[in-house]
Amino acid sequence: MAKETYRNRIELLQGTLDLLILETLRWGAQHGYGISQAIRARSGEVLQVETGSLYPALHRLERQKWIVSQWRLTDQNQRAKFYDLTAEGREQLFRDRTKWEAMVQAIAGVLGPLPEPEA
Amino acid sequence: MSIWQRLFRPEEGKADLDAEIEAHLAMAAADRRERGAGQEQANAEARREFGNVALVKEVTRGAWGGMWLERLAQDVRYALRQLRRSPGFAASVVGTLALGIGAATAMFTVVDHVLLANLPYAHPARLVKINEGAEMRLLVPYLDIAAWRERARSFEGIAFYGERKDHNYIEGRNATTQVKLTQVSGNLFPVLGVAPQLGPGLKDQPESFARRGETHTVVMNDVAWRSLFGADPVILGKVVRVDDEPYTVVGVMPRGFFFPSAYELPQLWTPIELDPKDQGRTFDAPRYTAVARLKYGVSLATAMAELQTIQKQVARAYTDPDDRKDRSQLSLESYGASLQDKSTTKALLTLTAAAGLLWLIACVNATNLLLARSTVRQREMAMRGALGASRGRLIQQLIVEGLLLSGMAAAFGTALAMGTIVLFSHLPQMARLPIETPATVNLHVLVVLAALTLASAIVSSAWPAFLAARSPIEPALRQGGQQSGVSRSQHRLRGGLVISEIAMSLALLAACGLLLRTLYALRHVPLGFRTDHILVANMAVPTYRFTALNAADEIYEPLLERVQHLPGVDAAGLMTQVPLGHTFTVMLGLADGPGAGITSQFKAVSPDLQRVFGFRMLAGRYFNAGDTAAAEPVVVVNRSFARAFAPKEQDMGKVIGMKLLSLSRDRENPTPTTIVGILDDFHQRAVGEPSQPEIEVSLPQVTRGSRFYDVLETVAMDLAVRTQRSPDEMVSSLGAALRKASPELADSNITTMDQIVEDSYGSQMLAARLLEIFAGSALLLCVAGLYGLLAYVVSQRTREMGVRFALGAQRGDVVWLVMRQAGSLVLTGIAAGTALAFVSDRLVRGYLFGVTAHDGWTLGAVAAVLIVSGALAAYLPARRAAGVNPVEALRAD
Repeated sequence: MAKETYRNRIELLQGTLDLLILETLRWGAQHGYGISQAIRARSGEVLQVETGSLYPALHRLERQKWIVSQWRLTDQNQRAKFYDLTAEGREQLFRDRTKWEAMVQAIAGVLGPLPEPEA
Repeated sequence: MSIWQRLFRPEEGKADLDAEIEAHLAMAAADRRERGAGQEQANAEARREFGNVALVKEVTRGAWGGMWLERLAQDVRYALRQLRRSPGFAASVVGTLALGIGAATAMFTVVDHVLLANLPYAHPARLVKINEGAEMRLLVPYLDIAAWRERARSFEGIAFYGERKDHNYIEGRNATTQVKLTQVSGNLFPVLGVAPQLGPGLKDQPESFARRGETHTVVMNDVAWRSLFGADPVILGKVVRVDDEPYTVVGVMPRGFFFPSAYELPQLWTPIELDPKDQGRTFDAPRYTAVARLKYGVSLATAMAELQTIQKQVARAYTDPDDRKDRSQLSLESYGASLQDKSTTKALLTLTAAAGLLWLIACVNATNLLLARSTVRQREMAMRGALGASRGRLIQQLIVEGLLLSGMAAAFGTALAMGTIVLFSHLPQMARLPIETPATVNLHVLVVLAALTLASAIVSSAWPAFLAARSPIEPALRQGGQQSGVSRSQHRLRGGLVISEIAMSLALLAACGLLLRTLYALRHVPLGFRTDHILVANMAVPTYRFTALNAADEIYEPLLERVQHLPGVDAAGLMTQVPLGHTFTVMLGLADGPGAGITSQFKAVSPDLQRVFGFRMLAGRYFNAGDTAAAEPVVVVNRSFARAFAPKEQDMGKVIGMKLLSLSRDRENPTPTTIVGILDDFHQRAVGEPSQPEIEVSLPQVTRGSRFYDVLETVAMDLAVRTQRSPDEMVSSLGAALRKASPELADSNITTMDQIVEDSYGSQMLAARLLEIFAGSALLLCVAGLYGLLAYVVSQRTREMGVRFALGAQRGDVVWLVMRQAGSLVLTGIAAGTALAFVSDRLVRGYLFGVTAHDGWTLGAVAAVLIVSGALAAYLPARRAAGVNPVEALRAD
């Protein structure tokens, strides 16, 4: 089972990690561990965000003022650093999504429908 | 996390990140425990999933930005630790560089003060000064200026001013003070783009002359307003007395303003009144200097071309063919440049080049020291490389060390430079530099200092850093021992650096030697007069009072009487201008009669002057007490003048008795003077320049009725006194005598004749003094460099020396071995330096007197100095090599 997941995992496209983080935070403030779990769950266990990419990304987004951080207690009474979207972050997310949709459509147009696997 | 926080509170951010990751691991482990894993297993799995905690922290911190800053701070901390560990090395590098940077900074401070000074005018770069004539700068009559104003399109405005050489006085609240007075056109201040801080200023009429009734208005500078009138806020409209005439104050210029040249004492400007002669171009029409402002975007060359075309037509209006020829040419120069003394400018640029050379020598020396150091640190560098430091990172670290060293050197160098400037300004006058510079670090100097620091670091440490980072890691780590040695090429490199130091030092020493010989030659030129035990007072003659009376009997005669009876005075005499004085030179061109066409220096003197200066008579007599106004008018000429009539020495006597110019104003009844004596030549303008023809008249015979009275007696007069004791002791009693004779004379400048002669060496003196310092420092540096290299080589070769001794070499052989190496370096350096000196002699050629630029003796002496210094530098290492104990040397590591 673990092996299977690993094989299906896709390398994240450059720049898409920011998009995924911002999208995740659209649903409410979340800590780093929570973000990585949410992305994994919502991608059907396909996308596993490396901590070595996640934390630099979070700190970078905070420097760009798209997210803000705050120490809070979780439901399990664990102190953790929660990240939340700012108004600027929301705008950025909207821009990134628009770009992403355009890109997906464009690529789909080039690729055409998936050819039937030959029997 | 701001960069500020990162730099100064790095621990806070790190703790925050640690806590964040700790929380991540705790939550991951908690999830796993919930799914049923044991405590141990959950923790381990969480950790495994997280990955390399240290690495994640590192890359996350990288996202904060300013990582380079943190690295830099680390490098600086490390470099400081390195320097503390080897203070001797740090001190020698910092000292070396401080010397170079200090010399260059001091030089630049002077250049900045003298050449780059900011003029207190709006857009000073667009101001130009216009004179007629190509080689000679001729002053311009008003009609020509009016023609330019009418036709030229290149200028926004053309103003003009009249030069006044006389002394002017203003009555302040408490005392009468000497002021500098300039008569200016009404549009001068608008053309300069400066408005008065108080009042409307001078009225600007269309022709820019003052109307009748407005001529007695005056604008004063801030200094005059504050020091003479206590910054009176309601001074406008008040009447002040200038040269005993009433003037209405119409303006006070802003602080720092000066015109026509830099002046820090009270200064006044009055308007020019239109003279009927201003409407002509005759020889006696008033002449002015024109100052114009170029229109925006118009270049000097364009304006020059336009004005030149106009001037071709203007010049036709001159009836005299010589005038027409002379005045068909123009000279146009930027106003800033016109204020600078050309010879000082040249001297300063030459000396800046010399200071630059010294700086380069210092950098080369520092490079050599750093190279030696990098050999010692080879293992450290190899170890860091082995632990994963990249080459770029190693170079960065070494450059940071270099920057730190040169930064410290810059601090010391600046202190050194400012200290030197202050020291020079406090030296007794005889040894002082002819240029006064305030020891302040302004923005220009700071910029240059920063550039020097950076350049010093790069020049001195880039190469060693590059070499250190490039050297392969493995052999350095394997060999280990102290005697691992360095590559042949590095030895050659360091030798080459020492050679280049010696060569550059030789060029500096040669220049210095040539100038010292020049000074020696100048000091041994027979001047034609004595200079010892003479005190000279350059009198501040109150022109306005002296034109109204007969100064010869009413002021000068009683003054001489008083001074002659001062205790300690042998003789006292008066002369319009003493030899080598640069106060007020009267030139007389004889138009007709005997001597027509000769231009001579023209002076009024008192009979006792010959006793003061000891002028030698070739024939006839000097003036005596009998040459009074009532007696027959007589003149004395010098040999240069007499030569026109008697080319042969033995014919000089024939000149005696010849009739010359008339002193009287009456053209109808001229009373020609008789030549009664011929003086031997003496140097009037400069020691290095030949004598000019000279005509002297007897002071009592130039009465107020004489046509030469105003120019010879009421503008300038020098009092020369022969003293029995040291002249310095007489200064105060002479000053008191002057004050008693006339209160205005208290402002007179009193100095010794020796000082006047010394001052006349001007730029040669300046160049020689500074080159002595530069060349001396260069010599010191290259001796230190040579010593450093040899000492290092000897320490590297201890084992080899041991082997040599073991094989039977004598001490002498080993000493010879080291000395031979030193000798080859010094000789190669001298050869290269001689070539360099031949190329660079152009720099000093203009200052030489009595010695050629390629003087073999000077070069030989300089080479000898270098050889002796080289031998001294080599002797200590050689003796150490000879003192090596073979047993210990071979046993060591």
